[in-house]
Formats: sequence, C-alpha cells, structure tokens
Amino acid sequence: MELASAPTEAAFAGRRRLDWERLDAVVRTAQRRGLPALTPEQVGLFSPLYRDVCADLAHAQAVRYSAPLVDYLQGLAAAAHTVLYSGRTMRSVRGRRSWVRVALEAFPRAVRRHRVAMLVAFLLFFVPLFGGLVGSLADPGFAARIVPESQLRTLADAYREGFDAQRGAGADAAMAGFYVNNNVGIALRCFATGLAFGLGSAFYLVENGLATGAIMGYVAAHGAGANILTFVVGHGSLELGAIALAGGAGLQLGWSLVSPGDRTRVASLQASARSVVVVVFGAAVMLFMAAAVEGFWSASSAPATVKRGVGLAMFAIVTAYIALGGRGSAQAEAMERIEAGRWT
Amino acid sequence: MLRPVKSFTPLDTDIAIETPEHIVFRHRVAGPARRMVAYLLDLVICYGAFAAVAVVVFTVAFGTAGAGATTESLGASVGFLLVLAFAVQWLYFAVLEAWRGTTPGKAAMGLRVLTTTGRPIGFREAALRNVLRAADALPLAYTAGCISIAGLASMVVTRHFQRLGDLAAATIVVMPHRARAAVAVVLWPPARPEELARLSDGVRLDADEREAIEMFLRRRQQLGPERELELANMIAPALGARFGLPSADPSRTLALIYDRAANAGRGDAPPSSGAPGSWS
Repeated sequence: MELASAPTEAAFAGRRRLDWERLDAVVRTAQRRGLPALTPEQVGLFSPLYRDVCADLAHAQAVRYSAPLVDYLQGLAAAAHTVLYSGRTMRSVRGRRSWVRVALEAFPRAVRRHRVAMLVAFLLFFVPLFGGLVGSLADPGFAARIVPESQLRTLADAYREGFDAQRGAGADAAMAGFYVNNNVGIALRCFATGLAFGLGSAFYLVENGLATGAIMGYVAAHGAGANILTFVVGHGSLELGAIALAGGAGLQLGWSLVSPGDRTRVASLQASARSVVVVVFGAAVMLFMAAAVEGFWSASSAPATVKRGVGLAMFAIVTAYIALGGRGSAQAEAMERIEAGRWT
Repeated sequence: MLRPVKSFTPLDTDIAIETPEHIVFRHRVAGPARRMVAYLLDLVICYGAFAAVAVVVFTVAFGTAGAGATTESLGASVGFLLVLAFAVQWLYFAVLEAWRGTTPGKAAMGLRVLTTTGRPIGFREAALRNVLRAADALPLAYTAGCISIAGLASMVVTRHFQRLGDLAAATIVVMPHRARAAVAVVLWPPARPEELARLSDGVRLDADEREAIEMFLRRRQQLGPERELELANMIAPALGARFGLPSADPSRTLALIYDRAANAGRGDAPPSSGAPGSWS
C-alpha cells in the first residue's frame, strides 16, 4: 500500500511543527516590518523552510491528513509565497542606473511607442481648441454657449488688468495648488474614462480643447489677447501637451478593447494598460511642473518678451525631449517590448 | 511560469494558484459588500485626516500671522490643502497598496491586493487599478464617486469579483486565511484490547464520512452531553453496524472508527490502527 510508510498525523505534525513555526515567524516579521527587517539567518532559512513546507503540504494532501492541518499548511505556504515571490524585476533591468534616469528614458519611449494614439489625441484636442478660438473671435456669442458668461467676463477682466499688479506669493501658492488638484485630476480622469472604448477620453479631449479655445478667443476679443498669450505660453507646452498625452493613453486603452488582435480582450487590455501607464505617470509629472510654472511664473510681473522667450524655450525642450529622449538604450527598449508582449 | 490552474473546481469564489513548487493553494476572493465597507472605511480615514489637517493649518495661518500677512498665509494654506486634497483622492490608495499591499480600511476587513498570479502588486498595478477608479465610477463620475455602477457590474460579471481597474491591472482582492495549527485528533483514552477485538480490520471511510466524524470529534468538548449523544447517534449505529462494533457509547464508537481509518497502516500508528507491530 502506498500510504504504508506515512506517519500518523500527530507524529508528522510533532516532527515538523518547529519548522512551521520558524517559517511563520519569518513571514510575520517580513509582512509587518518588511524584508529588510529579517536577520541574515532568517534570510538564509527562508527559502529552504518554504520549500519544506511546500513538500509537507503536498505530503499532507497525498496521505489525506485532516482538513485543519492541510488548511494551516496552505495558509502558511500562501503567506510565505506572497513574501518570497514579491520579486521586483526592475533592479535587473535598470542595472546600475538610478530610478530617475530610468523613468526619464521610459516616458518618451512609451509616448513614441503609442504614437498613433497620441497623434489622434493631439488632433482631438487641438482641432477643437483652434475651432473654439476662431469661433469666439468671429462671433462674440460663441464662447458663451460653451463656458458660462459670468466666468468669461471675470477672466477677461482679470487678463485686461495685466500682471503689473503683483498678486503676492500667497495667492500664487493657492493658484498652484488649484492647478495641481484640477488639472492633474482632469488628466487622470481623461485617461481612465478611455476604458469605455476610448469614448471618455475623446469626450474630455474635445470638451477641454473647445473650452480652452473659446476662453482664449473670448479674452482676446475683449482686448487682452496679448496678455493671455503671454500668460499661457509659459506653461502651455507642458500643460496642454500633458492633457493630450493622458488622453492619448486613454485612447490606446480603449483601442486595445476595440481591436485586441490575436489576444482575448482582457489580455489585450492588460498588456496595453501596463505599457501605457508610463505615459500617464509622465503626464502627471508634467502637469505638476506646469502647475508650478503657472502659479509662480506665468502670472508674475516679468517682462512679456522674457515670458514669451521662456515659453518658446520650454516648447522646444518639451518637444525635443518627447521626440529624442531615451533613444539608444537598446536593452531597456527590448525589455519593454517583451513586457508588452510584442516579440517582433 | 505561474498561472492559475485550469481544471475542474467547485463552484466557489476561490482562486487556485499554482506555485513553481507545484503546490496549489486557494485564496478566498473578497466580494463587493466587504470591499465596499473597506472602501468606506478608507474614505472616512482619508477625509477625517484631511479635515484635521485643514483645521490645524487654518488655525496656525490665522493665529500666527499679523493683520497684513493674513491673506498671504491664507493663500499658502489653501494651496497646500488643495495639493493635499489631490493626494487624498489620487495617491492614498495607490501609494499604500504599492507599499503594503493593503490600505488601513482593507486591512481592517482582512483584505489584501494581489496579482492574478498570486504575487504582491507593484507600483504600476497599484497606480493603474486606482486611477481607473474614475472609470469604475462611470456613469456617475462627478455626482457620486463612491457609487460605482460600472465597477459593480464588472464585479458581478467576472469570476473573481474584479472591477474594471482590477481587470486592467490584472489584480484581485483576497482575504488571506491564516488558520492556526490544529492538534491532530488522538483517541483518548487509548483503545482497550476488548474494543480492538471487536473492531473489524477493514475500516474504510470515504472523505465525507471522515470529515464529518472529525468535525464532530473536534467539537464535542464544546457540546453538551445530550447534544453530543444526539449528534453521534445520527451516524454511529449505521457505521457501527457496518464495521461490527455495537454502539454502547456512540461517541466512543465514532472515535474508534475514525482512529482506525485515519491511522491504518501509518508508520508509528497506535494499536487501534489494527496493524499490530508491523510498522514500529
């Protein structure tokens, strides 16, 4: 009989209990205080103890020990598995390079990897923007149909005043906080709603583009065109670009559901989400930077020519970074392709 | 490659994970009700902390500033609180789940986030599944963020109660179950020779019978004597007849039968296993 040599449950448990308790202690320490809290002896013991418990579990199931023992061993093995296999592969991918550098290179590469979706997003954002701009320049009533009139009037008055009346550091900080809360929230929502087959992202892109264009056109039509241009040019490339990129990431997410290729829809969604989330991180960081620029620099009383010069320089830097950043890092690129499940 | 085991499984809310050691263990997947409670707890913690910080910041801003500087410090406090509100809404869940695998609300309900292959989630997964809360909240995204119709629908349709964010990030929310080590059931007092003499050699129980008797034996100390007798009498006469053991004391009969069935042929088995001295 195959079970002949198996010990009784009590004898088995009595013999192995000490090891189970040692593994349990290691796992609890690691869960409560993290892996670095383990002593060198515990680290050395962890893997052998875990493998022994796996063997014990297999044995207990095979010789049909009672359910509580099997339950206990399963819980212990599962908890140890969760700690032991919490492998983060990034260290091996990034080698000796710092996190910041890896992130700086991964972001523009991710944007270029999804360039079709990004291009569509830019069109969905900037075509309505120019439409709104031209529309409200030509017809004063146009902007009021998109943005409430009272809000438009407040904005127009504010821009007519110009920047010479310094508004103070406190108000700058309040506005920067508002831009973080509002703009990053819009970008993240614009990305997330792309899950609805891209429709949510498309909606937010068109809506925000149209409203932005309409406001700029209205303000320009009311005699503050130079001022709003001076204001927007500083942070515009960061802020408007980031919104479009977040929307593009959402479009890509939606497209992975519409056209999953030779995968299931869920598998296609998961692969594209993993790859595209890098773009969303990058867009969020761009918007944080834009909020700081918008709060503390764009409304400052620096001369208009300086602001415009800085704005153009920012535009050039952002464009060059997205177009060229992270090129030539062949190893990381190959890893990303494998991660995205594209072998060719 | 680690992947969920595909085989016949009972209709249940478990997920089976096969490890590289070819061990299969099951995680209980958490359902919508429990997760909703955890989420509400987290919201209370978040916004409670936010309100507390807001009170402190405004008190300090008004208290320390002179009359002229009040607008300045007020503006700075508003800016700070707006950034904090952003963090509460978009970062709290992502950061805590990436760091600890759970949030205070989830921990209180015994929940933990894992990937569908049973590993802890990283920052990417945590960020993804939490940013996509905005999609789960559709179609009421602005009016009632905590009633997630799309998310609930997705949880109903998917096998492992995954909302949309879980689907995209390939994550599940489980209730890790850590059973305490139970002592094996031991026949006490040991079998007497006359009992062994009457018990037939071929005691075979199927899995259900074994489990039922074992549950009974483990619980019988907590039962009253009448209840113990009543329960034992439900199967002891039938089993006693099958194995030729008249049931004068039904509990003892069940214990004897179980002991022999569980320990027959085991290496260091007690005498009740019916294999005298063969495996010393």
